Parts: sequence; structure tokens; C-alpha cells
Amino acid sequence: MSEARLHVTDSQGRRVVMLDRPVFLIGRRTSADLQIVSTDVSREHAEIAQEDGRFLLRDRASRYGTFVNGEQVTERILQHGDRIRLGRTEAIELVFMTEGAKTTGFLDAAASDASDLRQMAAILDGLRALGSGRVLNEVLALVMDSALEVTKAERGFMMLPNDEGELELKIARGRGKTTLPGTSFTTSEKIPREVFRTGQSRIVRDLMEGDLKGQHDGTIAVGIRHVLCVPLCVTPMSAAASGISDQRVIGVLYLDGRERSTMLSDATRSSLEAFATQAALAIDSARLYAESAEKARIDQELRMAAKYQQDLLPERLYENAAVDLAAESIPCRTVGGDFYDYLEIGERGFGFALGDVAGKGPPAALLATAVQSNFVAQASVSSDPAEAMARVNKALLRRAIEARFATMFYGSVTPDGRLSYCNAGQEPPLVVGSSGMAWLETGGPVLGLLSIATYEFDAVSLQPGDLVVVCSDGVTEARNRAGDEFGRDRLVEAMRGRHGARPEAALEHLMGAVKSFSEGTAQADDVTALILRYRGQR
Amino acid sequence: MQIGQRVVGDVVVIEITGDITLSKGGDVLLKDKVQSLLQQGHRKLLLDLGNVSYVDSAGLGQLVQIYATTSHLGGSMKLLRLTKRLKDLLVLTKLLTVFETYDSEADGMASFANAKKA
Repeated sequence: MSEARLHVTDSQGRRVVMLDRPVFLIGRRTSADLQIVSTDVSREHAEIAQEDGRFLLRDRASRYGTFVNGEQVTERILQHGDRIRLGRTEAIELVFMTEGAKTTGFLDAAASDASDLRQMAAILDGLRALGSGRVLNEVLALVMDSALEVTKAERGFMMLPNDEGELELKIARGRGKTTLPGTSFTTSEKIPREVFRTGQSRIVRDLMEGDLKGQHDGTIAVGIRHVLCVPLCVTPMSAAASGISDQRVIGVLYLDGRERSTMLSDATRSSLEAFATQAALAIDSARLYAESAEKARIDQELRMAAKYQQDLLPERLYENAAVDLAAESIPCRTVGGDFYDYLEIGERGFGFALGDVAGKGPPAALLATAVQSNFVAQASVSSDPAEAMARVNKALLRRAIEARFATMFYGSVTPDGRLSYCNAGQEPPLVVGSSGMAWLETGGPVLGLLSIATYEFDAVSLQPGDLVVVCSDGVTEARNRAGDEFGRDRLVEAMRGRHGARPEAALEHLMGAVKSFSEGTAQADDVTALILRYRGQR
Repeated sequence: MQIGQRVVGDVVVIEITGDITLSKGGDVLLKDKVQSLLQQGHRKLLLDLGNVSYVDSAGLGQLVQIYATTSHLGGSMKLLRLTKRLKDLLVLTKLLTVFETYDSEADGMASFANAKKA
């Protein structure tokens, strides 16, 4: 049995129907093999019967008749490319296709002088099938040059809508693959705008004639007489499958010339329309490709930023004679607004800090880096944590980013166990002693907002084995599925009995507790913690 | 977020309903509102936060920012009816001492009147 199909264009859009029955019924009734709803179509309008490997079209005494290539028929052996019309309406068209013309179906139906367009359409179809790695501009140029060559138009351009949906000139080309300046077309935008709006092709045979004259004076002024303008339409896959017409006009292809030539023949127009469909698909996928390439580039840069951010943090583990510590920072996006740092500050001992910039993602990460580097600079020249904090606040205010602030805890430990600290709006750190726990709250307001802010410091005496647990609010405000916060009570619970523990082990336990608490929820904030242990004077 | 306003004497009571957050744009709405009031010459602002359920860090930053802007112009912005949640946030960030806060509108209005006498 031969394979054949109908390419159907009707009020539902375009679709392909296989002629897979010995007798294929076309009509208005729901049980027809091809149902076409139109007042011009009879309930049982026509049938296509397979006989001896041929396809025989028979009119079923329809009210308005059956036509093949414009000629009324009662019975006709169909040839590849035959156009079937049902009744008087031009809105319904069936094109009979046999095997071997899979990708260029519509074009085959057109006159043979458009064979180059057919080739191009096949190439574009191939590009599309490959996912089109070619850049958009190359595809546009390819489409324009082929269209110009075959239609014998003098010049042409393509317009695609920008993000606001307004048409923009993307490429203008002349014969012989030359690129024209966009300005040469500034007077001819009325027709493309109309085609873009309606999705219908326009032929203007002679701009000097007819009622268009008044509207197109601008075009005539540069001596252009004939215009052929077709929409670039894409039918989404889902819509095509369901048979619903949901064509999206993604742009407009415009051609014009002074001479009345092949460009205005019906055959040229219909093949150009079909060509435009293939071109539209290729352009659409090239554009999607460009968008995804852009997204991939941004992703790559974010990954680099994330690596740099981790590299800017000091080692996760550190120890000297008096203290050892472990720290970890897990951003909830690629990069985050939390940071920690520590440094040896001479006779004043060892300084350590943890901070959190309001917000998340790249903006917060930039600010976090600024706060962190400010801290390192100020900590080494300040006599106490409160002074360091006041200096960081001033430094941030000099480069204030409106309404953005940071919180930070800064502590310094001397070899004899004296911990001086200042807390600028940071979630209070917990001191885990042998016989109890305490919060470190003394300090001042958040950094970077108030020039009048003042900072105080306090000091506590650490005993060997005491832990100082500093976290960002991503720890205490981590939520479980029920929406409860981890909270300070659970922090205390997680640290109970950990006095004297290795910081690394205590940190692992804390992070594990937060993780299992918030199991099944998305991490909502950057989670950072630093645990320092005072080891005693050696 | 919705912003209402009432002028009582020379004080503008700004009533906020909803969240003051970056994602809902509340922080910018609030800033624009206060800036337009300041441009109109108002200098005594009382922010009623009794119907504000949530303030994120951007919203908090904005509260401080408009407080600073108002003070800089010789005016004053005070807070009315803080929820427990917002009060906790201000305590944590040590910003509570920065703001003058009142639990009732009468007390808030009185504070402006007393300042006038002094």
C-alpha cells in the first residue's frame, strides 16, 4: 500500500493527516476520517479511495462541489502536490502529498520555479532538527539571501519583536548578499507592522495605484513600487498536536523591488509563505539557543564567583597554641551574603568574626566581600572590638548602598583566655562552658546604616575547653516542614554536653542537627557557623 | 502592602498593612511614600506598624533609612504598635534604641506635643 497524506489548512490551522484507510471520508460529520467544520462542506463531502496503489478522489454529491487545482471534479486520480478545495471557500485547502517530500511538503505544491526556496527550507528544517547551534544572525542572513534570490526582489529586511513586543529591524539585505543600513527602510514600516499584527501576507502590486497611495507616500518617495510581505509564524508543538490553531507570529519578512517580476506571482508568494514557516522555526530555535547560551554564560560566571567567594574565606580549620576553630558557610544560592574571617592580631591575641549581609545572591555577596575586607583592615589597627566595629560602620557608610546593612560579631581572645567582643546586630553567639552557657549580646546596631551608631564591647573569661559558637541567622531561622524555626533553644540543645569537644566535631554535629531539622524544605538563607575552642595557656 | 495616611494636627500617621519586604516591593513603596510626605513639608511622622505581619532585612533597612532621612531634615519619625516579632528583630539588631516606639497612638501623639513645648 502506498503512503500518502493530506496537508490540511482550515480554521483550525495547519495539520497533516495520513490517508491510512482504504476509503477515507472527508466531511462535516464527526465520524468522518477528516472532519472539517464549515458551512461550505457537506456532511459527507468527498472520499479518497485507494485503488491499485493510486488515490482516487470522489465527490459525494456535495452541495458546493469538490475542486482539484481550481477545477471542479466528480472523480480524479490524485497526483502529488494536487490542491483540493471543498466548496466555494478559499479558507480550506487540502494538499495531497505522497512519500518523499516529508520536510518540504507545502512547497512541493507550489510551482517549480521556487525550487531554490524548497532547498533552503529543507536546510532550515535540518538546522532546526539539529537544535540549531548557528547563531541567530547567520540564520537571518541565510533566510534573507535565499528569499531575495528566488523572488528576484531588490532588497528586503526582517523585523522581530523586542522584549516589549515592538517590531525591530534585525537585518536588511540587498541582492548579492549585501547588508544594507537599517535606515534605508525607515519609511516602509507600515506594511510590516500590519502583517505582524494580522498574521496575514500582504502583496502590494503597485504602490502608486489603489487606495494605499495616501498611506504609503514615504515608500514611494524612495522609488519602491512592489512589496511582498509575509509573517513568520510558529505553531507550538502542543498546539499542533491538539489541532488547535495557536500560531505565534514571531516576526515579519519584507521584500520589495521596482520591477514587477516573479516576486509577485502567486506561486512565489505561496512558496515564500511556506518557506517563512520553516524560517520562523529556525529563527525561533536559534533565538532560544542564544538565550540558553547567554544563560549558560551567566551560570558559568556565577560558579566562578562562588569559587572566588569560597577562596576569599580563610581555611575551614585553624589552630594556634591557645585556640582552635572550625567554620563552614553554605550559601542558599550559588553565592551568598554570609562570611567569616579570623586573624592573628599580635599581643591582643586572635581575632575572629562572622557576618551576614542583608539579602541573598550576588548583590549580597558583593557587599559581604566589602564588609569582610573592611573588617580585616580595621581589626588589625583597632585597640578593641568596639573600635573596630565603629570603624567598619564608618567605612561602610562612606560607600553606603541605600538601606543595605550588615550584621557582624567580632571577638578577640588573648592567650590567657580573655574574650573581648562586640556584637553589631548579629545573632548572639553562645559560649558553652563546663557548667553553663551564655549569650554574647553587647555591642551596637547593625552596620552601614547609622552614622550616629555607637558600639560597646564586653569581655568574658574563657576556661580551657570552652566553646564559642557563632552562627548566622540561617542557622537559628532554619525552618522545618511545619514552619517552626530552629531557634536558640535547639542551638542550646545541640551544644549541650559538647564542652571540650573538638570544634570540627561540634560543628559537624550542629550542621547535622540543622540539616535534619529542616529536612524536606528548601534552604531559605545562607547558613554559616564558626566554632572556636579555648585550649588554655600552654 | 498597603499604605494609608491621616493628618492629625501637624503629625502624619502612616498606616501600613501587610508585609514590608523586598519581594513584595514594600520597602520601595514605603520609601516613596515617606519621601513624598517630606517633600510636601511634613516633618512629624508616626508609622503605625500594628498590621504589619512581617518585615524582612530589606524592609528593616528601609525603616532605618527613612528614619535617618527624616532626622537629617530636622524631622522625626516614630514607630507605633510594634508586633512582638518586629520588636524581637529590633532588639536583635540593636535598633530598638534608635527608634522612639509607642504602644498607643495617644502616647505617640503626646510625644510630639511634648517635644513642641520643650
